Amino acid sequence: MRNIRRNPDIIWREEEEARDEVLRAMARGDDASGDGTVLLVESGMMHQLNLLGGEIWKLLDGIDEERLVDTLAMIFDVDRDTLSRDVRDFLVDIDKRGWLVHE
Amino acid sequence: MSRIPFSPITINWTLTFRCNFNCRHCYSRPEKAQELPTEQVKEIMAKVARYKVPFINYGGGEPLLRGDLFDLTGYATGLGFNVSMNTNGFLMTEDKAALARESGFRTVGISIDSTKAEVHDDFRNTKGSHKKAVSAAKFLKEQGVRLTISSVICRINHMEFEDLVRQARDMGAEQISLHNYKCAGMGFANKDELDLTPAEWKEFYLKAIALREKVTDIRISMDDPITATIHKAPEQAIVKGSTCGKLSLNIRANGDVTPCGFIPVVIGNLLKDDLKDLWDNSNILEKMRNKKPKEKCLTCKHYEDCLGGCTARAYATTGDFNSPDPHCWMAK
Ligand code: SF4
Ligand code: SF4
Repeated sequence: MRNIRRNPDIIWREEEEARDEVLRAMARGDDASGDGTVLLVESGMMHQLNLLGGEIWKLLDGIDEERLVDTLAMIFDVDRDTLSRDVRDFLVDIDKRGWLVHE
Repeated sequence: MSRIPFSPITINWTLTFRCNFNCRHCYSRPEKAQELPTEQVKEIMAKVARYKVPFINYGGGEPLLRGDLFDLTGYATGLGFNVSMNTNGFLMTEDKAALARESGFRTVGISIDSTKAEVHDDFRNTKGSHKKAVSAAKFLKEQGVRLTISSVICRINHMEFEDLVRQARDMGAEQISLHNYKCAGMGFANKDELDLTPAEWKEFYLKAIALREKVTDIRISMDDPITATIHKAPEQAIVKGSTCGKLSLNIRANGDVTPCGFIPVVIGNLLKDDLKDLWDNSNILEKMRNKKPKEKCLTCKHYEDCLGGCTARAYATTGDFNSPDPHCWMAK
């Protein structure tokens, strides 16, 4: 299986305060799945990733998809099939945007 | 909108107010401030780096007039910043272009306001400046430095912006920024002669947005909140309205902090104040982030996206952040 990395041309930053807030909202049972926790800037455009996207993004340091899902399974309390599907959808989406490098 | 980021994404930094030009639209010619020595600029850079600000852009004055420009840039890139600058290009040489690459500039922006050398030279009040700007771009490209072009849209060029885009593309620029005219500094003094009417701004933006959607070989950037009236902000827009004080801050040559280069209201000084403290607690920033509709904005259906347009222009012309942008073409 091929390892995946973030495209190094993309500048990004974790929004720590926003992430803490999302985690607190989730602990209360509120839906904060749309709130951004990672900001990234690509070709002069700014984007934000939600908690799942942000956690995936941070792990893309040359990791294969299976190990990625294993690591995320320790953070997110969802069944493995759903998680694998969500991860796959996210990776396909950002790959189309040119945000990934495959090794 | 989601929340304001925990610190600025971009710091616009005026390292010097000195300039070898005297442009008719320049916001900074009347500005004076003590220029900080190298070590104090570095001290501020180190303080700002603590808050993980990703981008620094040197504006003007002319950055190439600072003898320590590449030393400062090497230091800044070492701290993790992505550094860019806007220069008139007059002082760029092959050697300096090589230093720009070595010190780690991510992009360099050259100002060109017309495809006609005599019009550009007249606007910038400096003979030969168009030719020098074109050579500066060539030197940078030869060094592999990523190039952008900046043009201030006003009466001298609003009908020829398509030629400006073509010129920038032929020079190998990856982006052209079509800056809206700011009524600050000399721009305020010369606004009757140079600024467009609201109807002309509308016509310009309609054409420029249509061109941006068509062109694929160069990015066209227009950062003007007033365009929210003709197209919805892209889904990825992090904040609505003006971005100053929400995504960016401005540092002056003496370390003073203002919300943006065009709003001369000092909220602190980074030699003594903490960036995060200013970002979180400044009353001025709070007012800019929570504008209240006034006059025609009160009943405007675009308010949620436009938020009254450019705060700097509103403030320059009325002294009130909440006034409608003077470029706004909506009927009263
Ligand atoms: S207030 Fe206007 S000039 Fe200042 S950054 Fe915002 S949009 Fe730009
Ligand atoms: S009336 Fe106010 S909110 Fe409406 S477009 Fe004009 S400046 Fe923007």
